Amino acid sequence: MKIELIEKIEGEAFLDVSCRQGKVRDAYVRFPHYRGIEKILVGRDPLDALVINPRVCGICGHAHLQATVRTLEKLAGFEPNEKVKKIREITRFCEMVQNHIKWFYLVVFDRLGLTYDFRTVHVMIQKINMLAAIFSGQWPHSSYALPGGVTCDPSQLEILQAKRLVQSVREHFVLLVGAFDIKNLSKDLKRLYDRLEERDLLYTGKSLDRFITFGSDSYVQSSKILHGKVRPAKLHNIREFGQEKSHAKGVTYKGKFYETGPLARTMLRGDLFVKQLHRRYKDSITTRIFARIYEVGTLLKKIDEHLRTIDISEPSYTPLEIPDGETMSAIEAARGSLIHKVCIEKGKIAEYVIITPTQWNLSNAKNGESSIIKKALIGAQCEATDIIFRSFDICSVCTTH
Amino acid sequence: MRPKVIWLQGVTCNGNSHSFVNLPDIEDCLRRYDWLYHPVLPSSCTLDELSDKECDILVLEGGLKPGWRKGEFDLEKLFLRLAKRAKKVVAVGSCAVYGGVFREYDENITGVLFSGAQKTKHYKSLAQKTVNIPGCPAHPEWIAFALDAERVKLDTYNRPKELYAYTVHSGCMRNEYFEWKVDAEQFGTKEGCLYYRQGCQGPFTHGSCNKILWNETASKTRVGTPCFGCTEPDFPKRDLFATKTYMGIPATMPLGVPKRAYLTITGIAKSFHIPRLHKRLFDED
Repeated sequence: MKIELIEKIEGEAFLDVSCRQGKVRDAYVRFPHYRGIEKILVGRDPLDALVINPRVCGICGHAHLQATVRTLEKLAGFEPNEKVKKIREITRFCEMVQNHIKWFYLVVFDRLGLTYDFRTVHVMIQKINMLAAIFSGQWPHSSYALPGGVTCDPSQLEILQAKRLVQSVREHFVLLVGAFDIKNLSKDLKRLYDRLEERDLLYTGKSLDRFITFGSDSYVQSSKILHGKVRPAKLHNIREFGQEKSHAKGVTYKGKFYETGPLARTMLRGDLFVKQLHRRYKDSITTRIFARIYEVGTLLKKIDEHLRTIDISEPSYTPLEIPDGETMSAIEAARGSLIHKVCIEKGKIAEYVIITPTQWNLSNAKNGESSIIKKALIGAQCEATDIIFRSFDICSVCTTH
Repeated sequence: MRPKVIWLQGVTCNGNSHSFVNLPDIEDCLRRYDWLYHPVLPSSCTLDELSDKECDILVLEGGLKPGWRKGEFDLEKLFLRLAKRAKKVVAVGSCAVYGGVFREYDENITGVLFSGAQKTKHYKSLAQKTVNIPGCPAHPEWIAFALDAERVKLDTYNRPKELYAYTVHSGCMRNEYFEWKVDAEQFGTKEGCLYYRQGCQGPFTHGSCNKILWNETASKTRVGTPCFGCTEPDFPKRDLFATKTYMGIPATMPLGVPKRAYLTITGIAKSFHIPRLHKRLFDED
């Protein structure tokens, strides 16, 4: 048994692996920490969750903010107008873009020993966060969205500034990664592909080939793929379970493990580039890594579309009372579906439960059902465990909220 | 010789690490120091290698908690060992400064020098060399300033006066509404001051958020979000989206302003009705 400390994954995790003849025989993931966010919320005014919950995670706090907002709005039976929806999607998509770019270069390229143009990568990160801040005031840790709308009231000038920023990021992105044309990869996509091929990693890390997405927005619809068939996904079929020696809970859908995240989303959307990769490499690290970086292009296009079509004369906010009751909702975060559950009694939070994307992807096997991470690791070369693990873009802090 | 830097994380969300990555021209900052460890940016060591290293500047992000593991080490012991040898300690973010949000769950979580507003047992040995940069998160420019700064003036919480002598209210775009006591009737508009009803703590929170803008472009109050007082030892307070009032007067006065002075000015300001401040800003006359 070998214990690997996996660091720089928004915190740390331990991976217990046993190997025989160079191949992984068994694997178990442990998260050593717990910070008690769900407990901090109990007894507080529901709106306090808009400030506390982003602090679950420094890289996807925006998704936690919006999951909180949507859960409280669902309780009140409120649907925001198009302007509010678009502003929220713009800032959330910005957060996903910065996450994917950081992961692609600072983690994947770094681990595979590939050099990259740090300056351009950093300019993209800085600019996309600046775009979000035009609406959200700051990134990380904004609380600009609240039940009933958003606090900002953008003017034409700010929309224009945002359009310039997204245009600039799109141009930099194409210059770095080239076109998503499977027969004609160039630039950084080609360098990545060649490195995976050199190291014999193209087909490694295949998992259960089951995908799930619970969030619904203008980019993706809530659904799952089991045995190649797409069906709606229902929140009430989700179950959490405790795991030995780990502070992270496992999670299943109707007793089965599913992968969530960019690979799931692009498969469910039927994006051609990812489907072509999947046909050849199935749900290996190749498809998983390329799906995540492919998503950046689509999200940047979405942000641009929203900026072109937004009607800023609509109200930013409608006053809303939060009633007592219990509900749950989901939103798409960078790493996949993020689920928040709340129970309000006498105007205060009585219970709060957060289920994060990494919990889906890193659950340990249970009751004879193999899990996503376990299946991806078993049988792989022992030296490949680190990159397989990281191909899921793990978030330790989210998982151990 | 470039100063060696280790950026160590305790009980944290990683928000300060990611905030720091937003620093414009970060390449310069990466070149100027020898980065032994940073949780996100390129750096030369692994966690396991840190215990016998020495650094000139030790950055702590996140709170200290007895028994908290950092890889195979005890976090607090590792921190103290490195801090002892370092020339400067920079506590980045409100968790490293006061214990922060996670202290609400476990009071054993503290900052380096402060546990909430109380001094910790490390105060005596480390106060001389520690610069505190609270904020949730800390602004990247504030962090870069603390890494670079020598002999700066600090306040009673070891915060550089250059950054924290201002209030978040300084430079707020809504100052006219504050002067004439015109409150924001609701969220989602450019007009009105958020101090009277929406819970804004800007007038009594130390910080330069409206001087050194976030992401070079904005701040909470500039997008209509109240300031939540995240640079102060009592962050996060309760009922953050509502102003606590006594007889209609905000319970906490603007920094250093006696209640009597505030009431006098308010009475005078309110006795005048300034039509421009009661209309939508972009409305036609």
